[in-house]
Amino acid sequence: MPPKSSQAASTTAKAPKKSKPLAKATTIKLDVAPSSSSSQSQRFNPLTAFANTPPSNTSGIPKPSQTQKSKGKGKEKETPFKALAVDAEDDRLWVDIYEPTTEAELAVHVKKVQDVRRWLDEALVGGPSGKLRKYRRILALTGPAGTAKTATMRVLARELDCELLEWRNAMGEASSSIFEDDRQPEGSGYNYNSDQENPFSKFEAFLTRASTCQSIFTDTDTERDPRLSSSSSSSPSQSSRSSSTPTRPSATKRKRQIILLEDLPNILHAGTQARFHAALHALVASEPLLTPVPIVIIVSDAGVRGEASDERMANGAWGRDKDGVLDIRTVLSKELLHGPYVTQIGFNPIAPTLMKKALQALLSAHFASAKGSAPSKETLDIVIETSNGDIRSAIMALQFSCVVEAAPSGKKGRGKTSKASAAGSGGSKLVLEAVTRRESSLHLFHLIGRVLYNKRKGDPANPSATAKDIQKDRELDARLKNPMGLPEHLGAEVRRTSRVDVDLLYADSPIDSSLFSLYIHQNYTPFCTEVEECAGVAEWLSWVDSSGGEAWYQANPHRFHLLTMGTLHSLPSPVPRRGQKLFKPEFFDYLTKEKDAWDAVRDVRGWIVEDAVARENEGWRLGGWSRTEVATGLGGVLKARDAKQTQTQAPGSHRLFSSLPFVSGGDSRGLSQLGEGDLPPSDNVDVPDDGGARGGWAHVEDVDEGGGWLDSDDIEDF
Amino acid sequence: MSLWVDKFRPRALDDLHYHQGLSARLKSLAASGDFPHMLFYGPSGAGKKTRVTCTLRQLFGAGVEKLKIDQRVFLSPSKRKIEVNIVQSNFHIEITPSEAGNYDRVVIQELLKEIAQTQQVDLNAKQRFKVVIINEADSLSRDAQAALRRTMEKYMSNMRIILCANSTSRLIAPIKSRCLLMRVAAPSDEEMQTVLSYVARRAYFDLPPEAAQEIIKDSGGNLRKAILVLEALKMQSPDLSGPLTIAKPDWETYCQKVAVLIVTEQTPARVMEIRAKFYELLSHCIPPTVILKTIAEAVVSQVDETLKAEIMHWAAFYEVRMRIGSKKIFHLEAWVVKVMSLYKVRLFLEF
Repeated sequence: MPPKSSQAASTTAKAPKKSKPLAKATTIKLDVAPSSSSSQSQRFNPLTAFANTPPSNTSGIPKPSQTQKSKGKGKEKETPFKALAVDAEDDRLWVDIYEPTTEAELAVHVKKVQDVRRWLDEALVGGPSGKLRKYRRILALTGPAGTAKTATMRVLARELDCELLEWRNAMGEASSSIFEDDRQPEGSGYNYNSDQENPFSKFEAFLTRASTCQSIFTDTDTERDPRLSSSSSSSPSQSSRSSSTPTRPSATKRKRQIILLEDLPNILHAGTQARFHAALHALVASEPLLTPVPIVIIVSDAGVRGEASDERMANGAWGRDKDGVLDIRTVLSKELLHGPYVTQIGFNPIAPTLMKKALQALLSAHFASAKGSAPSKETLDIVIETSNGDIRSAIMALQFSCVVEAAPSGKKGRGKTSKASAAGSGGSKLVLEAVTRRESSLHLFHLIGRVLYNKRKGDPANPSATAKDIQKDRELDARLKNPMGLPEHLGAEVRRTSRVDVDLLYADSPIDSSLFSLYIHQNYTPFCTEVEECAGVAEWLSWVDSSGGEAWYQANPHRFHLLTMGTLHSLPSPVPRRGQKLFKPEFFDYLTKEKDAWDAVRDVRGWIVEDAVARENEGWRLGGWSRTEVATGLGGVLKARDAKQTQTQAPGSHRLFSSLPFVSGGDSRGLSQLGEGDLPPSDNVDVPDDGGARGGWAHVEDVDEGGGWLDSDDIEDF
Repeated sequence: MSLWVDKFRPRALDDLHYHQGLSARLKSLAASGDFPHMLFYGPSGAGKKTRVTCTLRQLFGAGVEKLKIDQRVFLSPSKRKIEVNIVQSNFHIEITPSEAGNYDRVVIQELLKEIAQTQQVDLNAKQRFKVVIINEADSLSRDAQAALRRTMEKYMSNMRIILCANSTSRLIAPIKSRCLLMRVAAPSDEEMQTVLSYVARRAYFDLPPEAAQEIIKDSGGNLRKAILVLEALKMQSPDLSGPLTIAKPDWETYCQKVAVLIVTEQTPARVMEIRAKFYELLSHCIPPTVILKTIAEAVVSQVDETLKAEIMHWAAFYEVRMRIGSKKIFHLEAWVVKVMSLYKVRLFLEF
């Protein structure tokens, strides 16, 4: 399917070059199949959806009167049309053209901007007391992509009149640009010349130079080293190398500087990561100069999806440095992150209201200068809704939608029937959705809820449901087929058709099946009324966990589907609504506790063994204490010893595994509730494969960061 | 300090109190000069390790008791550091490969190669070979076992391997066939009685027979446990008279109470409650298999005759899954829910 539709798209794109009638004929021919299929399915393949509209485009473009087309400003996607209709000076995306330049224009929450500003203030001046400067060395800005982290930084740097020194990784250009003479033959990016420093040394040099020798650096170094492109704050949108020489103020007054690290060295490589940590550490730990240069690190959170992590887990190599996810805990070492020198400010997805305001401002700015009409309010709403708080993607979508919306009106102008234009606007909506819909758009909260509420065809509507929702449900039900009847002996297995589309869930799931199973496990019980239903779900959880082989390639690829369908099948229908709440799995907390307890076991074992070694005669009796034996066997003696207060005390930590008071009820646990806004943990946190039974510390150790991380917010007594 | 278990452990084969036949055979093996690879197996607390160390002493003399502990660092294929504690003397080396977790194959290979390629240099040594003791051999991964199998053949001239395991069922057949299997059965009640009174005598007190009986009954053939309990009891009430309350480890009591929870109510809410208990137990380093076994036994003792077989069947069933799977809690819970629904159906039928 995709190849075909892309072919359609490319043919239509090429069309203008050919003679008109021929182009039309081909378009129609290729267009039939994609349009019919896309109208049936709910999800849109961007390519097919795109292929729907081009007929209007192709017919509209060659027209000499380009009134509507003026909005299609040189977007990269439209390169074929560029030669025809685009004025060269607006060759940039809206994101670049309308980058915010003042604090008021930022769509970020005011408080966040204030936080960053205060930090910068403290870092550059030292805050009210002037003493904080020492501790404001590194600022880490985190948050999902497109939440204006960089924009905020640039705006603030501009307002505070600072210069941003930015590190840029040079990919393969090192050999070509610096060492012109001894360049290798075409194609090989390598240069094994001995006097060339490796990329990381360059980074280190950059750091030290930028942080210590700033005066010389700004004057001369920038010209010499093209990679140290310090984009001057006076033209924040200019990041190309052409403007690498900063526009310097008068020589008397030097600008304050901030080092901006966004394009980091390849810290997924363990060695580079270690060096990176060491470099930052050394920088921070070194005696601060009179004017230390603050460092700002910007890290976008990336989510993990799919089965990859399961495979890694099964592989046994699921160490943090391996999981290929760049997040703040890989960028900064643990000591730094918890140390006094690092401040972390997390950016949230941009709120719809703020985003709307910003987009409207952008539109009015744009259409004040350019011709054309702004997109409709609905379009704006769709853009905002589908962007998930990613303002960059929202602006991109908006720019795109302006092009798409232009098409139907052009049609109308040429006197087509209104029916066609209606279809056209519907089509533009499709395109818009197809283009703007972000991948993992289903929140964890909704995912779990969708499964556990187990909605089936013909369920009575929720009392709080609006008429629109009821209507939607009815439409959905009409499309669902009733299941085939089952033979009598399977009568207990008959269920009404589920409203849950498992494939869709799987596609939208922000978490992998392993984590998904933990969430289901944590939450399924309140949704059951009888133990038998629990038994069904528990059995599926157990089965799914143990299906497949030991090696990653033997893992069952259908775990998500099996678990979801098994859960849906087992749960009662309809699920009684009792105000169930969703919680995050306790699993990780207990894993952390278990790790501590294992440490205690090791202490106690050491206590027994070392003592025996100390005495020559007893030394031969060693190793007989395996950890399990210590954990299970020693409880009684240790308790008795504690009671007796003998002179040689066992390490006090032994209570972590030996003392286990029974609390009936067990309701005093603190559970963190899963909220609507909660993003899935982006770390690959998972069970140590086999580690529990065999007590492998090597594995459990890695889990604790992730475990501690889950209980971040509102802990609520359950 | 040292625990009585360690303090009064027999040091020579002649000092052992039970399984005399086994001791005699080990003695003659040690004397024969054709000492094979060996696999000691039997329930925990039966005296496997004691016999192994006694055999070593028989083989090499008192020098084997001069021990040192080394911490060795191995590199996994992915350059990850694995630290393993190794106990060794001039004549033998002892490792617990399960400490290396998933990388036990690396550890086993490196270590064995190293030992196998160095000959015994001590001319006064009684034997030409060194001995490698591998504890908890039944938790070796398949990879590690496969690696072991080749090494056992190749370096027979320099090295003997003694494996210790609770059961042979998880060892691959090639390894079993390369070893002389030594079953160390749990001691009988009388034998335990002898050992306990021996320990008491060495600790300078008299053990009343009733107290000994009580301890033996509680320990279920696990001599280590029995001696530990004896020590705890002695600490609690020095004269060991009157009604004794055996100081069980907390987790055992805990498991009993969880069993009561299962039998008293069968609702989803109770499932939640029990899950919390399981998490508690797991986070206290109690192996999930042990939890399942203890609770299953406790449940079985409280239910109707007809249900017992089924409950144990499902316990075994989910135990297997637990070994294959990675999230132990799922399987524990699945078993509990299964038992609950079985029990509920039975109750329903009764009324």
